[in-house]
Amino acid sequence: MSAGAGSFSRLPCDQEVLGELLHSLSQPLTSLRCSLELSIDDLAEQQQQTVSTALLQTDAVIGMIQLMREYLDADQRPAHHPVALMPVLRSVMEDISSIAAVRSIRIHVAGTCASEIRVAEPRLRLAFQYLILAMIERQPAGSAITLFLGEGPAGALLRARCDRPLGVLETGPFGNASGNARLKRDSIGATIRRVRMAIAVRILAGAGAFLAFDDGAPGFVLRIPRSCGVKPGSSSSI
Amino acid sequence: MRILVVEDDLALASYIQKGLVAEHHAVDTAADGEQGRSMAIGIDYDLVVLDLNLPKVDGLSVLRGLRQRKASLPVMILTARSKVEDRVQCLDSGADDYLAKPFSFLELSARARALLRRSHLPSESVLKVRDLNLDRIERRVERGGRPIELTTKEFALLEYMMRNAGRRLTRAMIIEHVWNLTFDSTTNVVDVYINYLRRKVDDGFPIALIHTVRGVGYQLSAEGGMA
Repeated sequence: MSAGAGSFSRLPCDQEVLGELLHSLSQPLTSLRCSLELSIDDLAEQQQQTVSTALLQTDAVIGMIQLMREYLDADQRPAHHPVALMPVLRSVMEDISSIAAVRSIRIHVAGTCASEIRVAEPRLRLAFQYLILAMIERQPAGSAITLFLGEGPAGALLRARCDRPLGVLETGPFGNASGNARLKRDSIGATIRRVRMAIAVRILAGAGAFLAFDDGAPGFVLRIPRSCGVKPGSSSSI
Repeated sequence: MRILVVEDDLALASYIQKGLVAEHHAVDTAADGEQGRSMAIGIDYDLVVLDLNLPKVDGLSVLRGLRQRKASLPVMILTARSKVEDRVQCLDSGADDYLAKPFSFLELSARARALLRRSHLPSESVLKVRDLNLDRIERRVERGGRPIELTTKEFALLEYMMRNAGRRLTRAMIIEHVWNLTFDSTTNVVDVYINYLRRKVDDGFPIALIHTVRGVGYQLSAEGGMA
């Protein structure tokens, strides 16, 4: 197939096409969500029940769209100021520990680490959130999760240990080196969990870190080479 | 309060207008950036809700122009862009808040209230709903003179609900504001913590302040039912 010179602008790549579609989808979805919300009070009780169900379904769709956006945005690598790992991990733990407590799971955070990573702070938060939430969701009630963040000669190391394996190799998304997700068609909850882990992997890989699941023991190990960021007080940069 | 909504999607603009009018605001709409800029500069608004993708003049240019003429006018940006970089650019350009589409009207309404409160009233150190008091400085809660011990998360949840007393709050709003997490339909942590709060705040009192709103989420209201 050929086209006359200048008759087409550059065709977008897959990522751009998906981005544009999601962008376009958000507008009518916002109108739909707002119209359902604002109409509910004017309806009879039986119709309210129907609209309530529609609202919940709309929220589920919105949640999926947010995940798709996060996935698309996860491997973007613009220059960022380095972010200290430990404060972000502790801040995430403050939010997540109550979710673990509801499931009767204890979480311990230990170690000292002054290392940094060059990634937007909200993305680092998201990656930590999704990794730790995935662990919590796989663990039985009454179990414990231990997180240790420390420094070695090559860089920082976050080691997470739990009772039950994360089962990432069984479930597919990270089984191949290219990182392309192979998602099973099962429950929405399980899909959400796997996509979230795929997002975490893309964010961390984009920042140059290495993640290994159930490596020798249940949990994960995140290696952040020194070149991913700078130490406080150092002027080095990538 | 008088609010200007600059949004080129007429259906969405009318829903936002309808919702804000129902909350007793006076609301004008503009369908493009040029009209929006002219109205925002020429009329005395308390808040501007501004879409980014606008015909004629884009939202970011409108925002920058507004900041030169009306530095203290609160501006909330609506956008379908959700990247961290977009958010940073908007805030750096002078936006006071940023709401990514798709959003719920309840979320927009809560953020609008926060912006209006910030610009018009001093921040309250003690929140009060009926006989329930929450001291944000001392981090103390009491109801009917009886002290209530809360965990950090319970306190944050109650504070968020009291700040939005009388308003419906979705589970997504609660988990995003109190837990700082993106909404997760697979966790019931919000429901569990609401139950914890109910036991501490409502049990033993004749009037319940925390209510379930079917299909939506929860509401803390002074117009309580039986506990």
